[in-house]
Amino acid sequence: MVRPKYKAVVIGGSAGSFSVVSKLLSQLREDFPLPVIICLHRLKHVRSGLVESIRLKSKLEVIEPNDKEQIMAGKVYLAPSNYHMFVEYDGTFSLSTEKPLNHSRPSIDHTLTSAAYVYRNKLIGIVLTGANKDGAKGMKDIADKKGLTIIQDPKTCEMDTMPKSVARLIKPDKVLSPDEISTFLNQLAI
Amino acid sequence: MDFKHYLQVLKDNTPYDFSNYSDNSIKRRLQKVILDNGLTIDELLDKTQTDKGFVERLVEDITVNTTELFRDPEIWPQFYEKLYPALKGKKTFNIWHAGCSSGMEVYSNMIILNELGLLEQARIFATDISLGMVRQCTNGSYRYEFNKKQLSDFEDIIKKSPIQGISKIDFNKYFDFDLENDRINIKDFLKKKVEIRQHDLVQEKVPFYNKFDVIFCRNVLIYFNANLQSKIYQMFHNQLYPKGSMILGNHESLTGFYKTKFSKNGPLYTKTNVFHFKYQ
Repeated sequence: MVRPKYKAVVIGGSAGSFSVVSKLLSQLREDFPLPVIICLHRLKHVRSGLVESIRLKSKLEVIEPNDKEQIMAGKVYLAPSNYHMFVEYDGTFSLSTEKPLNHSRPSIDHTLTSAAYVYRNKLIGIVLTGANKDGAKGMKDIADKKGLTIIQDPKTCEMDTMPKSVARLIKPDKVLSPDEISTFLNQLAI
Repeated sequence: MDFKHYLQVLKDNTPYDFSNYSDNSIKRRLQKVILDNGLTIDELLDKTQTDKGFVERLVEDITVNTTELFRDPEIWPQFYEKLYPALKGKKTFNIWHAGCSSGMEVYSNMIILNELGLLEQARIFATDISLGMVRQCTNGSYRYEFNKKQLSDFEDIIKKSPIQGISKIDFNKYFDFDLENDRINIKDFLKKKVEIRQHDLVQEKVPFYNKFDVIFCRNVLIYFNANLQSKIYQMFHNQLYPKGSMILGNHESLTGFYKTKFSKNGPLYTKTNVFHFKYQ
């Protein structure tokens, strides 16, 4: 058996990213071999609905994890509303309600940085459309640990601030349209 | 110096033991405190051993004190759907808010108890590790702007899903609004009713002798490692009356052994019947 080169995919997105993530999950193959860890900004008081809507189109199981939940391959994890979501060294999630970072809870930087430390060069980090700079620092941490960095092509973004903030800090390994991102991820599964 | 070494120094020289907190998060917050204070390692070690005020502030900074009035508004009708039948009709009942932070949830719950005609029978206990938080809980004075949205969200929620028939609450009965100074001040009759103590769950000593019908401990144990979490669940189990309930945060759940000691009852974890062996 060929050992997969990567251990996890982590995705951050904000304004405009819901439809991108939704489409991406509809395109990922059923036997996708990695955990997909997603942190999206959401309106604090719109609690329900996001995970249900994402589930509608996803071929993979979508979970809003509880604290200390084990991270499993082939499942999609969405940071729960009003919690920061961290990846821990023992392969579990931990949640926190400490104060918002970059005005957000969940904060994309927190999730990306914690994943960078755990998965190091076996991590794929992706930042999608969004109107602020959350995620840029986290992507730099992924790059520093020699993980693979991908930003959504700003030309295809509803709001290009977020991927552009990443590109100001690091030179991303790939700049891809949403369709190219799913094609790339599906190739990993072969 | 690595952070585990520092936590050991803290444990040996102060009443505080963070050694069983989740590694990643305690490390991150500790680094932030050190950075914010601009301390060298030597200064940090020195202050930790000699300056009590510094230690209290450090504890306040590295623990998480997030709370809101009617936090997670949509969950409150669900709490009381399960709690109300168990509490009404009791002569007295005891509620413990473990890790109460500045006390906003303590007072939110008392408001609902009063609306349901249950406040008189209730004995309310609240504890927090941080002295600063215990003081804030005692003072019961909160920022208005911070809570404005929560209060109106809560009003919307109970209009749609009333709590045992309660669909509207007149907050003027419970708060003095001082908008000029951006304050919501809790009225005295509520403040007088709470027994508040400084108490660290990690020490595993029980803070009160009585047992409890309900223990609120929402988003507190998420900062502990799995091993310490289990010990605290055991302590809560011991301190609950039979059929008493524990209320955790929305994304906390029991795992392994403790799943069998509590049954999940909507958002509540209710102590299951325990077999007692009789020796003859």
